Amino acid sequence: MRRDAGPGADVTAVPIGRRLGLTLALASALGVLAFGWPLLVDAGATLDDATSAPVVLALVVAAGLAVLLVGVNDGGLDVKAIAVLGLLSAVGAILRPLAAGTGGVETVFILVVLGGRVFGPGFGFLLGSTTIFASALLTGGVGPWLPFQMLAASWVGLGAGLLPGRLRGRWEIALLAGYGALAAVLFGTALNLSFWPFLIGSGTEISFVAGAPMGENLHRFLLYSLATSLPWDLGRAITTAVGIAVAGYPVLATLRRAARRAAFGSGVETRAGVAVRGESR
Amino acid sequence: MIEFQDVSVSYDGTPALRAASFTVGEGELCLVVGPTGSGKSTVLGAACARVPHFSGGLLSGTVLVAGRDTRDHLPRDLADVLGVVGQDPLASFVTDSVEEELAFAMEQLGVAPALMRKRVEEVLDLLGLAPLRGRALADLSGGEQQRVAIAAVLTAQPRILVLDEPTSALDPGAAEDVLAALTRLVHDSGITVLLAEHRLERVVQFADSVISLTPDGVATAGAPAAVLAHSAVAPPVVELGLLAQWDPLPLSVRDARRVAGPLRERVRTGLAAAVGTTRTGAPNDRADRTPSGSAALLAARGLHVRYGAAHAVRGVDLELPAGEVVALMGRNGSGKSSLLWALSGRGRRSGGTATLADGTDPADLIPAVARREVALVPQAPSDLLYLPTVAAECAAADEQATAAAGTTASILDSLTPGIDAARHPRDLSEGQRLALAVAVQLAATPRVLLLDEPTRGLDYTAKAHLVAALGELRAGGHTILVASHDVEFVARVAGRVVLLAEGEVVADAPAEEVLRDSPTFAPQVAKILAPVGVLTVADVREALAAGAAAEGPP
Amino acid sequence: MTTFQRSPGPPPVPGPPVTERTDRVSLHPLAWWAWGAGIAVALTRTQNPLVIALLLAAVTLVVVTRRDDSPWARAFGAYLWLGLVVIAVRVAFYVLVGLPDGSPVLVDLPRIPLPGWVDSIELLGPVHAAGLLGAVYAGLRLAALIITFGAANALANPKRALRCLPASLHHLGTAVVIAVSVTPQLFSAAARVRRAQLLRGLDGRGPRAFAGRLIPVLQDALDQALALAASMDSRGYARGHRPGGDRRVGALLLVALLAGLIGTYGLLDGTAPDWLGPPLLAAGAAVAVVASVLAGRQVRRTRYRPDPWGLPENLVAACGVAVAAAIGLGAALEPDSVSASLSPLTWPTLPLSGVIAAGAAALPAVLPGRSTR
Repeated sequence: MRRDAGPGADVTAVPIGRRLGLTLALASALGVLAFGWPLLVDAGATLDDATSAPVVLALVVAAGLAVLLVGVNDGGLDVKAIAVLGLLSAVGAILRPLAAGTGGVETVFILVVLGGRVFGPGFGFLLGSTTIFASALLTGGVGPWLPFQMLAASWVGLGAGLLPGRLRGRWEIALLAGYGALAAVLFGTALNLSFWPFLIGSGTEISFVAGAPMGENLHRFLLYSLATSLPWDLGRAITTAVGIAVAGYPVLATLRRAARRAAFGSGVETRAGVAVRGESR
Repeated sequence: MIEFQDVSVSYDGTPALRAASFTVGEGELCLVVGPTGSGKSTVLGAACARVPHFSGGLLSGTVLVAGRDTRDHLPRDLADVLGVVGQDPLASFVTDSVEEELAFAMEQLGVAPALMRKRVEEVLDLLGLAPLRGRALADLSGGEQQRVAIAAVLTAQPRILVLDEPTSALDPGAAEDVLAALTRLVHDSGITVLLAEHRLERVVQFADSVISLTPDGVATAGAPAAVLAHSAVAPPVVELGLLAQWDPLPLSVRDARRVAGPLRERVRTGLAAAVGTTRTGAPNDRADRTPSGSAALLAARGLHVRYGAAHAVRGVDLELPAGEVVALMGRNGSGKSSLLWALSGRGRRSGGTATLADGTDPADLIPAVARREVALVPQAPSDLLYLPTVAAECAAADEQATAAAGTTASILDSLTPGIDAARHPRDLSEGQRLALAVAVQLAATPRVLLLDEPTRGLDYTAKAHLVAALGELRAGGHTILVASHDVEFVARVAGRVVLLAEGEVVADAPAEEVLRDSPTFAPQVAKILAPVGVLTVADVREALAAGAAAEGPP
Repeated sequence: MTTFQRSPGPPPVPGPPVTERTDRVSLHPLAWWAWGAGIAVALTRTQNPLVIALLLAAVTLVVVTRRDDSPWARAFGAYLWLGLVVIAVRVAFYVLVGLPDGSPVLVDLPRIPLPGWVDSIELLGPVHAAGLLGAVYAGLRLAALIITFGAANALANPKRALRCLPASLHHLGTAVVIAVSVTPQLFSAAARVRRAQLLRGLDGRGPRAFAGRLIPVLQDALDQALALAASMDSRGYARGHRPGGDRRVGALLLVALLAGLIGTYGLLDGTAPDWLGPPLLAAGAAVAVVASVLAGRQVRRTRYRPDPWGLPENLVAACGVAVAAAIGLGAALEPDSVSASLSPLTWPTLPLSGVIAAGAAALPAVLPGRSTR
């Protein structure tokens, strides 16, 4: 199934056509606005209240994500992609407790990155969303942060699917580990940014000031990040990179075997005696 | 109802089925038999349109299902006429409660809610599932789950049911449960059934026709007795019938027993002759499966295992001398697995001791050291495996056991020759995967090997391989304790049987004594030839040979 | 293909909660979310700490009386902790880097200037009463908001909430249903694999042991995924769904997203005309709903025993609406009632609207449940 595959992905479990790509781009732009709002908002704008803004924007992001997912859904999904998506999300959702025994590392991105790499960008995007969503449902982690987390994790999966190169072996693992580390830091920083005014309030020296020049708010945000989330983000980046370096090779092999067995896209050419490779059992 | 016209299937250029032509009529129960890898799954897959639409492959010829050509119909387009049940029920469930699972297919077909309610009730009654209706699927036993899986396809009211080894992942009690439900269904509702099943002894008597496949994918269809006489796999009753040259070939113990009188006499005289002539001529050298006097490699004293309020093992004493194969039998939940895990030192133990020959307790050793003394292969051997190729798995096993490079690979080769080292362990057959897990565990040179239900999912050929491999290990001085429900397997492999009930040992005696007279544990041959003391077809063959030898030079 | 067998022996694996029974006694999950949403709206409209504290108490009371023994219900305690942490963080940041204001100084801590490029900041310094109280009040409000989400989460069964997803999200909803149903099995599979790996001598806690545990579980999961897909396909899943989608739906979705994008920009930009914000967002939402309904028509399926929505659900949802209405009305009629009263610094008073709102929020604690059917 090499045809239609993304740059480095093995298969395209969820193809993204032109219309869906445009929808994805618009939804992502909406997401960028929502994530970066503390840097963009003007004083006196409708939404300069630090407590209600994240809640309102969470609704906006949730709606944007829902619209995008309706689009994906409307295009039709291979039943195999649905089942693999469900099972991989479940594995992702149990990874946290599983890893807790090995030192409290953050492991969710490992599977999202590797899944996106093997099953393609569209699948990676969906995997990010469904993993976070299922995990929130199971552990009771539903809150205004959920849509932001879903979108950010989806971007991580999408990016993994778009990674270039037909690299295999050691270099591929290095590429994925590096990407995973970068994605983990960006994920943490983006979430931190959108909830910065929400969490710290307005009465401090590193607080967000609505309408202040972007440079000044950025400076304040960096200080806030240093004080709060950066150590965690770095920890998350390191564990993601180490996790991919250690488990990447066997996990990729396992996922590729599943991708091969699933024979995504078979059964379309039903007329002409039928083709497509599969796997005997 | 199902018609194959000159159907060939190949995957990546490798043919899996060659020019198969047959018809399964309305209301028929058709059994598909053949060794592992012979294309049973391909036949079933082609019948439900999964081949080629779902799993790929190249199909030529025509498959008609209730008049629909599978070339133009996807599996989902057959959902209203054909229901499919797979090996592992839990893997087929979409929801997590019995009622919702039963309704799933009807929801997809857009059945009106009132009708759905009615059909769910009907099917619950048909398969005796009404008491379970509100239960969570994961909490049901394996047999109950498989019955739910059957019920879940029946609610769509299909006219054909396709079952791919529905009992291979179940223990015998559960398998019994499922097959009983299935035969009742066939008789009561007249549904057409296409069934692949390796416990032939349980179902062959109900079959109206049989499709037999050879390893290279050639299919022969016809009446059960005619086809099975030439089939590569056959239940013990058929093997015995072939040995005794009965015609027509009996398919059930009842039919065989009615014609077995003369054979019984010949075996009796044969056995007497063997005892009279030589001391070692006992059938199948079972006598030297129980050597006497050697020190126990592993001994348990007063073992107890408790899980909260449940008391799984109650004061078990057990000795495992070197060079012995001991079978651990008993119904589900009688404490077999708990005992094995407690003996290995890795499982829970609430009281009592287990000691090795040198007096140490495996539970006091760290896992990496304990496995040099006692090895356990768990029920799912694949739990032990985690690398993408057989070769990588072997190399890792050598390293972990600090054995010389190549140790595991050579053990594997002696157990099951000819496994391609580049293959993925999950792509191996059940038997090969079990051999790999055993080889991994044996790399650390333990002298005691504990096996938990090793025959689950194995066909007759793979079981014969396992019997031979265990025999060689025993001859090499290993001692083997195998927990199994499989009486035919135990009859062939074990010298001694330990019977557990409610966590206590209720019998600990040579295999013949325990198996021969038991109504539940007697193998087919013993049932047919009782009260003559033979357990397997091999026993009969040897007795006949001994009898012939005694008569030969008068 | 052995998947997650229930093995008879040593098995009782300590693991997370097994799947609970679907109980039909509890209310429709969306009723609880409506109740929670009403309270959340009220919380964003008021800054009065007394009202917030009362609402918080009401929410906690309802959870304690109405929750069952499910894992998500037990997670409510974690939300309470999270709330406390939020307040503590706010206070800590105020004390560390708070800005001075005109109110009395409570404690005068020494100032510690920071060197280098962060020289604009001084740590510690005087702690003012209004600033400190402000931090506590804002933290409390935020905590209450988070705990309200936790309450709805604890009371609404998420699996039943999933059944309420619109038909246009059918496929992805199914994927999440699968994930949620299969997780308990995966938990026990993970524990089983961990035990088995001990047999192989892999008792390390390092990353390699992690891979050793992850891979078998992942392989089981992927094998199961294919078996599951085959089973769904043969049971008619997605029958009659035209692949490729509906052109109209795609176009409507693009319009909705464009409206959302511009509308959000309108919310953030101070100079944008008023119609660019909320009205455009509402219009976008309306278009999205139309698209969703159109897309949902493609999915031809029915529902077995849908969750009933009756009087108890209406009452609980009405309570949520009443809370929001009471606070909103109070804010309109008496703006002081929703202020934090920090400048000038006075003791906050408890307005009538706040009492009514808290009463409405607590009412579900005593409302009748759904009788067994």
